[in-house]
Amino acid sequence: MAAAHKVNSMDNPTIVIDDVSKAYGSTQVLRNCSTRIGKGEVVVVCGPSGSGKSTLIKCVNGLEPFQSGSITVEGIEVGSPRTNLPKLRMRIGMVFQHFELYPHMTALENIMLAQVRALKRSRVEAETRSRSLLKRVGLEAKADSRPANLSGGQQQRVAIARALALDPQVMLFDEPTSALDPEMISEVLDVMIELAGEGMTMVVVTHEMGFARRVADRVIFMDQGRIVEDAAKEPFFAAPASERAREFLSKILAH
Amino acid sequence: MPEVILKNLPFMLQGLATSLQISAMVAFGGTLLGLVVAVILYSRVPVLSAVSRIYIEFIRGTPLLVVLFIAFFGLPALFGYQTTAYKATVVAFILFIGAYLAEDIRSGLMTVKPTLTQAALATGLTHGQALRFVVVPIAVRRIIPTLFNQYVRLFKFTSVASVIGVSEFTGNAMLVNAREFQPVTILAFVALTYLVICLILSGIGRWLYARLAVN
Repeated sequence: MAAAHKVNSMDNPTIVIDDVSKAYGSTQVLRNCSTRIGKGEVVVVCGPSGSGKSTLIKCVNGLEPFQSGSITVEGIEVGSPRTNLPKLRMRIGMVFQHFELYPHMTALENIMLAQVRALKRSRVEAETRSRSLLKRVGLEAKADSRPANLSGGQQQRVAIARALALDPQVMLFDEPTSALDPEMISEVLDVMIELAGEGMTMVVVTHEMGFARRVADRVIFMDQGRIVEDAAKEPFFAAPASERAREFLSKILAH
Repeated sequence: MPEVILKNLPFMLQGLATSLQISAMVAFGGTLLGLVVAVILYSRVPVLSAVSRIYIEFIRGTPLLVVLFIAFFGLPALFGYQTTAYKATVVAFILFIGAYLAEDIRSGLMTVKPTLTQAALATGLTHGQALRFVVVPIAVRRIIPTLFNQYVRLFKFTSVASVIGVSEFTGNAMLVNAREFQPVTILAFVALTYLVICLILSGIGRWLYARLAVN
């Protein structure tokens, strides 16, 4: 049923990436990337390092500029100079590999900042919302802790709460578990799985193929700046179409 | 305490009060100026960053006393306004220390990872808000020891202001010496007083750094 809903939603996709290319000087990092992501879809982006995965999702919220092609999020052109990027970014949550919590603020203040300053919520409302999000990620007791006093897994859960605090329509995850000790990976993945279960539209750059098998609807495989494969989860894992993806999968699943 | 000091203490302390007052104003004004210039350079604001660069290089290549003379004699003559030795001192010292503070603050801003700014922008904060609430507070906390090093420097600079007639601590003490002629005792008192105040300032810096520093 959920799948049917998602298929229908492709008539009016949440994210449209159309023929996007990007270069740093003479280094081509994205080559003619195109894909569409429907409302409620969970898409895992994988591929070897340097393949352009992180760059691609940072283009989606305008953190990385791109030279050609277009990206729209809920119909709004990301690359247009007329687009109010801060306003658009409030609708797109992002979680980073190294958490990027503000070190001079407590967990609670980290989650409150953009609510108060960008979304213009009252402090009382922002605090209430922040505490309920902390509770949701299992860290209500850590509201007054500084990031330095939290474990990696705890920091990443606070970072997820910070992104969710703006009630985004889309969540982007840039290798959210690759900087974590193995025993902390599942506490972060659990939060993400729950989020996927609630119907959040998610684009997740990750090497966690277990997560992909469990919650992804689609898998995008990138290599050398190209989207080499863009397939539903089952066919991708059963038999990837490209040699490059087969090789990558065998390496990553071998250990 | 030697009698010559006790007898002239009120006059000398009056000078010390002036020195401290100038220092406080210059520390505040200079930090503000340094912050503005540092943010302009860090954000690569067109035109303004070129102006900032010229300002910093000019100050670094000019002796403090010359900057003081420019503020007291040069600028009023050039632009036809009246000033006082006190005002000229405050202006000159703010301009002087501001250039050094700008470089210190800029180097602090550079220590903040670009990805942290990206994280702030990703939540919908504007560039200005990301600077104000995230980058600047982190940078300033990291350079507290450097800031206080500059505050110690500028407190000692105030002794130069007597040259244009400001009744600050050193100048007043030297007036006392001209009357009493007990240079060893008076200079020992003066030097010791500067030392104690500088130690207190450094102590405050260390205390603040221990409380506020972030990794």
